[in-house]
Amino acid sequence: MWGLLAAVPVGIVLLYFLKLRREPVEVPSTYLWMRTIEDLHVNSLLQRLRRSLLLLLQLLVVGLAALALFRPGLRGETSGQGRVVFLLDTSASMNATDGDDDQSRLETAKERIGQRIEAMTDEDTAMLITFSDRAEVLQSFTSDRGRLRTALDRVRATNRPTDVQGALRAADGLANPRRSSELGDVNDVQVADAMPATLMLYSDGGFDAVTEFDLGNLMPEYQAIGSAEVTNLAVVAFSAQRNIEDPTQIQAFATIANAGTTPAKSSVSLSIAGELVDAEAVDLEPGEQSGLSFAFSEDEAITIKLVIDEDDNLAIDNIAYAGLTPIKTVSVLVVTPGNRPLELGLSTPKASKICLTKIVSPDFLDTDDYANRMLAGVDDLVIFDRCAPETMPPTNTFFIGRLPPLGWSWDGEAAPVVLVDVDRAHPLLRYVDLFSLLIFEGRSVDGPAGTAALVEGDRGTVLAISARDGYQDLVLGFEVVSTGEDGGMQANTNWYAERSWPVFVLNVLRFLAGAAEATGAPSYRPGETVRLRLENATDEVTVQTENGRTDTMKPSRSGIIEVVDTEEPSNYTIAEKDRVLDLFAVNLFDRRESEIATTPEVELGYETVQGVTGGVEKRREYWRWLLIGMLGLLAVEWWYYGKRIA
Amino acid sequence: MSSTVSRSRVTTGPDALLSPELLARLERLELVSRKVFRGRMKGERRSRRKGQSVEFADFRNYVAGDDLRLIDWNLYARLDQLFLKLYQEEEDLHLFTLVDASESMNFGTPTKLHVAKQLAAALGYVGLCRADRVCVSALGPPGRHAPVLRSRSNLWKMLDYLDSVESGHNVSLHDGVKDFSIRNSGTGICVLISDLMDKAGYESALRMLIGRRMDVFLMHVLSPEEIDPPLRGDRRLIDIEDNDQTEITINQYVLRRYHETVKSFVADIKTFCSRRGIVYIPVSTETPVDVVVTKYLRERGVVR
Repeated sequence: MWGLLAAVPVGIVLLYFLKLRREPVEVPSTYLWMRTIEDLHVNSLLQRLRRSLLLLLQLLVVGLAALALFRPGLRGETSGQGRVVFLLDTSASMNATDGDDDQSRLETAKERIGQRIEAMTDEDTAMLITFSDRAEVLQSFTSDRGRLRTALDRVRATNRPTDVQGALRAADGLANPRRSSELGDVNDVQVADAMPATLMLYSDGGFDAVTEFDLGNLMPEYQAIGSAEVTNLAVVAFSAQRNIEDPTQIQAFATIANAGTTPAKSSVSLSIAGELVDAEAVDLEPGEQSGLSFAFSEDEAITIKLVIDEDDNLAIDNIAYAGLTPIKTVSVLVVTPGNRPLELGLSTPKASKICLTKIVSPDFLDTDDYANRMLAGVDDLVIFDRCAPETMPPTNTFFIGRLPPLGWSWDGEAAPVVLVDVDRAHPLLRYVDLFSLLIFEGRSVDGPAGTAALVEGDRGTVLAISARDGYQDLVLGFEVVSTGEDGGMQANTNWYAERSWPVFVLNVLRFLAGAAEATGAPSYRPGETVRLRLENATDEVTVQTENGRTDTMKPSRSGIIEVVDTEEPSNYTIAEKDRVLDLFAVNLFDRRESEIATTPEVELGYETVQGVTGGVEKRREYWRWLLIGMLGLLAVEWWYYGKRIA
Repeated sequence: MSSTVSRSRVTTGPDALLSPELLARLERLELVSRKVFRGRMKGERRSRRKGQSVEFADFRNYVAGDDLRLIDWNLYARLDQLFLKLYQEEEDLHLFTLVDASESMNFGTPTKLHVAKQLAAALGYVGLCRADRVCVSALGPPGRHAPVLRSRSNLWKMLDYLDSVESGHNVSLHDGVKDFSIRNSGTGICVLISDLMDKAGYESALRMLIGRRMDVFLMHVLSPEEIDPPLRGDRRLIDIEDNDQTEITINQYVLRRYHETVKSFVADIKTFCSRRGIVYIPVSTETPVDVVVTKYLRERGVVR
């Protein structure tokens, strides 16, 4: 536009050059005229333009028109917007596309805020806060429209639930300053003046009433975004489980709800690792929900996806994910001179389902069979009860009352042990209550560097786990059963009589031997930080989503990784090279977010705020037509002038 | 153009060229030649040549072969030496008046051509009154039948010829003068009346006249429109002589340049003329002919 405008004066000057209609005039001789303009030819361009009043006038007109386009003016007395806090909802429901041209609600809200920002005067200040399940101050109070615009551009939609409280508190902090000290102290003055501000809430109202909040100096204005008439079918729950009786059988349960305001029906399809497995149809009235169940068999680690096929106003809740870790039977070699409690623990119904146990005496360690077995790598776990091999086997080990041959040492003498601390967070000790335990004789153990203490006694660590070349060694500092002086079996602890014993043995099988859990992978909300403990010590793992996004992460020394970037609903597969270590799913599963119909009013503090749907009066620009009119006028004037002079 | 035609019709009347009052004043005038020329017939002016007349001029020694009739016998008686008595020869003067009849002369109110004709007629009449040999001629084809006139009674012949001369004979000054020179031998006074607007230049024509040992007078006729043109704005100038077209935007600056050009044009002619002994007389068509003849020409010493 500006380039076109700049071409106009050039065009006028050119018209002067190209003006062909010259008045013919007869002169006795052009002899003298030729001589006159002979040396003017050098600067003929300039001499033609010199002192042409019409040209000057036209250029002046065009120049003034160009100046007028800058909308010059003096700032008069205007009623500005004052201080404004823009609260912009970026939660999942704002992704609903019920606006014009499939525009999402967030885009609409951003447009409206943009119009507000444009309408701001130099005296007005504004701040921009976005909120989903957390509030973010994108721009604190400023009158710089450019910075507000940039901040607004940075706003991205999220798939998170809504929590308006944090955002309100952020706005509140600036509008209602707290007193710095106590009331009644005359020497104490408030540090900051209260700054009344307009609170512009751009949301669809998809959050619970905020009651524990006082608006104070904030004047709320609720800009309702979106429409009250929506279609939305949502998966509000989805999980998959292996059948305990038959681990290859998997059952998936889903709850589909009609969170819209119109009846909806659709087909729901279930796919495993991208392949369609099953489908069902749902037909729901508004507010209704229905449960679906799917059954199929699979013994690998799988990722399951449930899709509502019909398009509706909110896409994110049309897909749900679930994952299942692989089912696997583990093989355990028990080297023991005889340990009845251990044998019992390994033969519980649950344990026997997931493990194959072979019990041998310590003599077996010297045979070729043992060496071959270790070379073949058949066993997932070797339990050494009161015995130790000469070299560590290439697998996970559990030493009871003995130390592994390398790197471990006793710390102190054998004595009765009182347990002090148990790491309940560790999967090995999950659901295990040890404080009623009696231990007659035990010693504290000291493992190599990187050893994690799981159970602390009064004299030191009695249960510790250490990583070794990708395997893990669990060392128990006391015997469960001892061989008495008469050669008979003698209890060293009452653990075998506790309920925690079979649970502990099962945990050992599950996590040390690597047997999978029957339940499905956990599901998290979008944006939640997922903290996982990896059983296998690895240097580097990859976190992969359904659509192929791959992150490489380094687990901490204790095998913990924290997956932060969980914005996208998907199955997240944590793998080391090709081996799946863990799985989790991220799903919206929030009925409140799925109910995307815009509420006509919201309750903030103790005020009910009615929604306003209109935007600010948008400036309609007519200057283009005026400019074209001016140029047309100029052309007509030129034509008339040319005609008159001829 | 129509106005120009009607104007020229008005000026075709014989009495329009010279008014009776002017004729009366012209009778008292006489052409002055700075050089004394040999005429063909005995005239009314003294010649440098010694010869047959009543006016004594000088004596000189007798040499063998001299006409015995011219010997001053009285001196011979007194001094016993032979002397010849020399007499002043009286002879006529040749006056050539050349009128540029190119189309460019047909411009202005009155036209430059008309003014030129008036001047030619006035000078011719002066010559006729003094029994000089007068040849009023237009440059170009009409000059071929220009009459050679003597005596006052031939005034009407001269005026008739001048009336018959129309503009439009676009010969260059050089060609016109060359044509004239070929046809008219002999020396005399040559008055060239022209606007000198010749794109080929006027210098060669004037040089040719000087080379004929003419006493050259140049009357430069310019109309006021040429000296200060009343033109402004974007114009296409058309040369009425050769239809040459020049596009020009006339503004103050260009006008100033034009005035400078006119000035330098006139100054150049003046310099050229003064170096070669040509009398240059600028004539504006605004100035009445009688003023030009009785005042300017007198001041310049063309007539007395």
